[in-house]
Amino acid sequence: MHLLKPDLHSRRAFMKRAGQLAFSGAALPTAMNLAALGEAAAFNSPGDYKALVCVFLYGANDFANTVVTYDNPSYAQYLNIRGAYTGSAGLALPQADLAATLLTPTVAPVDSLGVTRQFALNPAMTRLASLFNSGKAAIQLNVGPLVIPLTRDQYNSTDHRTYPRPPQLFSHNDQQSIWQSSSPEGAKVGWGGNIGDLAMSGNTTSGFTCISVTGNAVYLSGDQALQYQVTTNGAVRINSAYVNSSNVANSTYGSTAVTNALRSMIQQSRVHKLENEYNKVTARSIASEGAITAALAASTPTTFTFPAGNSLADQLNLVARLISARSSLGVKRQVFMVSIGGFDMHDFLARDHGGFRDASNNIIPGLLGKVSDAIAAFYDATVTMGIADQVTTFTASDFGRTLASNGDGSDHGWGSHHFIVGGAVNGQKFYGTAPPVSVSDAKTSNAYNPENQWHVGQGRLLPTTSVDQFGATMAKWFGVDANEMTSVFPNIQNFSGAFSSGYMGFMA
Amino acid sequence: MQAEVADSPAGSDQALRLGGVLGTAALLSACGGGASSTDASSSATSPYQFARPASDQEAVRFLLQAQFSASDADIASVKAIGYGAWLRAQLSAQAGQTGVAWLDSKGFNAVTANSRSYFSTGPADYMVWAQLMTSTDAPRRRMALALSEIFVTSTTVMTGYWPAYVMAAYWDVLCTHAFGNYRDLLEAITLNLAMGNYLNTRGNKTADGRGSAPDENYAREVMQLFSIGLVLLNPDGTPKLDANGASIDSYSNADITELAKVFTGYDVDTSQNAPIMANPVTGGGTDNVPQTTFARLPMVQRGNNHSPQASHFFQNIPGVTPVNIEANTNAATSLTTALDALFSHPNNAPFICKQLIQRLVTSNPSPGYVSRVAAVYMAILQDDEARAPSGLSASEFGKLREPMLRLVQWARTFNVPSPSTDWTRVGDLSDPGTRLGQSPLRSPSVFNFFRPGYVPSGTTLSAGTVVPEFQIVNESSVAGYLNYMQTAIDTGVGGATGLKANYTTEITLAESPSKASPSDLVNRINLLMSGGQLSADTVNTITTAVGSMAGTITGNATQTATNLRRRVCAVILMVMSCAEYLVQK
Repeated sequence: MHLLKPDLHSRRAFMKRAGQLAFSGAALPTAMNLAALGEAAAFNSPGDYKALVCVFLYGANDFANTVVTYDNPSYAQYLNIRGAYTGSAGLALPQADLAATLLTPTVAPVDSLGVTRQFALNPAMTRLASLFNSGKAAIQLNVGPLVIPLTRDQYNSTDHRTYPRPPQLFSHNDQQSIWQSSSPEGAKVGWGGNIGDLAMSGNTTSGFTCISVTGNAVYLSGDQALQYQVTTNGAVRINSAYVNSSNVANSTYGSTAVTNALRSMIQQSRVHKLENEYNKVTARSIASEGAITAALAASTPTTFTFPAGNSLADQLNLVARLISARSSLGVKRQVFMVSIGGFDMHDFLARDHGGFRDASNNIIPGLLGKVSDAIAAFYDATVTMGIADQVTTFTASDFGRTLASNGDGSDHGWGSHHFIVGGAVNGQKFYGTAPPVSVSDAKTSNAYNPENQWHVGQGRLLPTTSVDQFGATMAKWFGVDANEMTSVFPNIQNFSGAFSSGYMGFMA
Repeated sequence: MQAEVADSPAGSDQALRLGGVLGTAALLSACGGGASSTDASSSATSPYQFARPASDQEAVRFLLQAQFSASDADIASVKAIGYGAWLRAQLSAQAGQTGVAWLDSKGFNAVTANSRSYFSTGPADYMVWAQLMTSTDAPRRRMALALSEIFVTSTTVMTGYWPAYVMAAYWDVLCTHAFGNYRDLLEAITLNLAMGNYLNTRGNKTADGRGSAPDENYAREVMQLFSIGLVLLNPDGTPKLDANGASIDSYSNADITELAKVFTGYDVDTSQNAPIMANPVTGGGTDNVPQTTFARLPMVQRGNNHSPQASHFFQNIPGVTPVNIEANTNAATSLTTALDALFSHPNNAPFICKQLIQRLVTSNPSPGYVSRVAAVYMAILQDDEARAPSGLSASEFGKLREPMLRLVQWARTFNVPSPSTDWTRVGDLSDPGTRLGQSPLRSPSVFNFFRPGYVPSGTTLSAGTVVPEFQIVNESSVAGYLNYMQTAIDTGVGGATGLKANYTTEITLAESPSKASPSDLVNRINLLMSGGQLSADTVNTITTAVGSMAGTITGNATQTATNLRRRVCAVILMVMSCAEYLVQK
């Protein structure tokens, strides 16, 4: 039962719209783009620039040990469910170790039972906790894919036409795709790419609108905008096809003729569609490499301080370098994607996730320490460049995990908590609704007890905010107009007051 | 049963069971051998339209799907005896050295004082590259590699003692069962230690009654990826649809929670660990190193951790028999019942067969092709859709050659390793910017390097056409591949002291028939690498470019040798860079 059908996404209409933007003759790109983005005055100003950076946590992050419940009553429930860590079993972080990363929001969050709550970040996330407490980061509570708002009873209903569920819940590859594109695996267009579609005509070099420093991901694929892929060292030159700016070809095995022949062959259009597809990528590689390499080399060297031995930091460092080269690259709006994997911790969560103490009694940084350090270093880099208000970074992941333990890890879930970081973020606040701490299925008079309404078994959170609402809030900041929003987020209209309260409010 | 389906296309229900011949070993015993027989030339006795190749090109096309490379001897053989007999000969060929035996033969089981080599994953890379590049039973290894992209585990995350042995034992399971029975393979994989580590069956415990539950990872992925998939399928691999035209989920999360109980209680078999070797560690302490044997022993029940609870799954799935494992059923019986249910599930054959066709022949097999393929390996390769010349001119037939297969093909075609046999020079080639962007047994996740349904954006492909391998194609990886091959073709894999190719035969053709137009050289590389699938234009471009290169210089043997070798290298690089080679048809 796939009610999230691609044709409901208005992708076709959207593509036509974007096409008109790019090719409509007299009303040339800039003017059209101004209208679409609703930012006519700002758009041509010299410092005009905005970037949206997605940090994808592949494997599905364990929400309960990332944004950790802290007030005494809820911590006691968490401890009872997860069990104190014994060195081999138990998943509960010690409350005392959470004091240093206690979050101090300007407004205390209230959960769906009306209870005021406190949260701390994982003890390995000290830098991100500091950003939150200094107003530069916000937390979106219990967000996940939804077609419409659902209660647990509605989720359990067999009437999937009235109460549609997102397809293939709990499946990694499908939920990665749904987070990125609103559709399960096989989707061709993601919301980062669609935002790029709208913004690309304002960029002189439209091919650098959507840039991935990680693998191919549907998030960055638009109807018009294609994702451009770089490594943490920048673009990769094809040595055997290289011709320099003076039109002198490299020598390949002692022959420039070979270089010229190879350069021609690997870019030519082909009748066979797979062959043509491959050569299109190669042609893009060659066409873009020179510009990227030159821009990175020429952009004013900026001193960034990124942690070593942190692959996410390496990627974000390259994003920062590209942003520093934005003028020479001819871009005013960019959508980036970086990622870090390894979050599918069915086992060894205490060893690998971060926050527990090792044999020497030191806090283990784990993956969450890397995430925190990398994002904070990137934020600092945007401050150094003087554009902290123009760059917004957010986390996303396949899904949340169970609150229940399977011994030394957690299993596949649904809703999760995520971070939004940047100078334009209304920080030091929680958005959305905190879930109660429960794994029980207990009912009273045939209805789930109130504390069991917001998970679908074993503490798999039933989201109270949709990915569409989460993404649309950032898209609005980026410049996507309200009347374009449904073509980017197909289900946004299903959330009450989508264009007022539907926006979550975490962006200025 | 197996004998009947083994060499015939389907058309009946029985052929739709994997039944479960992945090869046709069963056929041979049923027929009393026959590996040396040749296929009748009359189509009256063959179910396939194409019994034997009509040309060297057709022979190579077949060989490059059936194994990694084509030698002159292979071409002659398949032309002489035909496709079916050649395949049967491969199925009965003696299996080559196992991965574990290879590691032993190279001394990787040695424990050296103050060295912690038993924690190194590197030898797993050396092992699998050596197996792929040199093993004598290439078709079996080719099938095993395809299986490694369905039943995925990964060297990248193996830890603990002897991770290379753990991965070698996993690789050996795939090779052992490559032409065997799917049900046997499924059980062997389920109890394999590498898989147990990867998807957490090892150490999986029953519920503790306080909120903890059995680990669901293996229960989920064994269904989603290893046996039946997400949605109910017709025998031709297309999704079944309900009254509203929607696909039907194969299982719910409740089914996974139930099935997870079956996979509890397992852990490593430590019974053969002695004698333990006490190895001092630099900086203090001692490692107590077990023998390598545990790595290849199936996991066993240890402690009292198997769930005593009843397990009920597939209760309300249309067309699927409900499975009920009663409380206190022992672990072995539970496992048999559960795996039998997955094996007999109507999805099993089309789900697995389609992916094997995608790995070996084409990304988009027709529904009929999927339904005909039962005795998987032979049927995939002999099917008319694989063999018909029409595939060579169809605009979407075929698949992108995987980068690791390109390197293995080059190595086998040109006699790597020569002269060095230092396999430690070839390792993890996963970096897309500087290497291949892919390395065998090093998938980044259980979802393989790429997904069966991948479609790039901005594509001109027809609606519904999928191109799985393109998921690892991007602006960086296309460049990284070409740069890596440019060096490997010339100086070898792993630098100056690494594994080199031997181009003796090709060098004799470097100026043939003329220095300005060495078409014999280009034609040979075109034949061996692409089955002669390069267009006349491309052949001409390559020939002209190479014809302009320096060649024989009278009186200067050293420079002449360098020049002729460079010509060979240039042709190989240009062939391996062009799209007509990269897309295998």
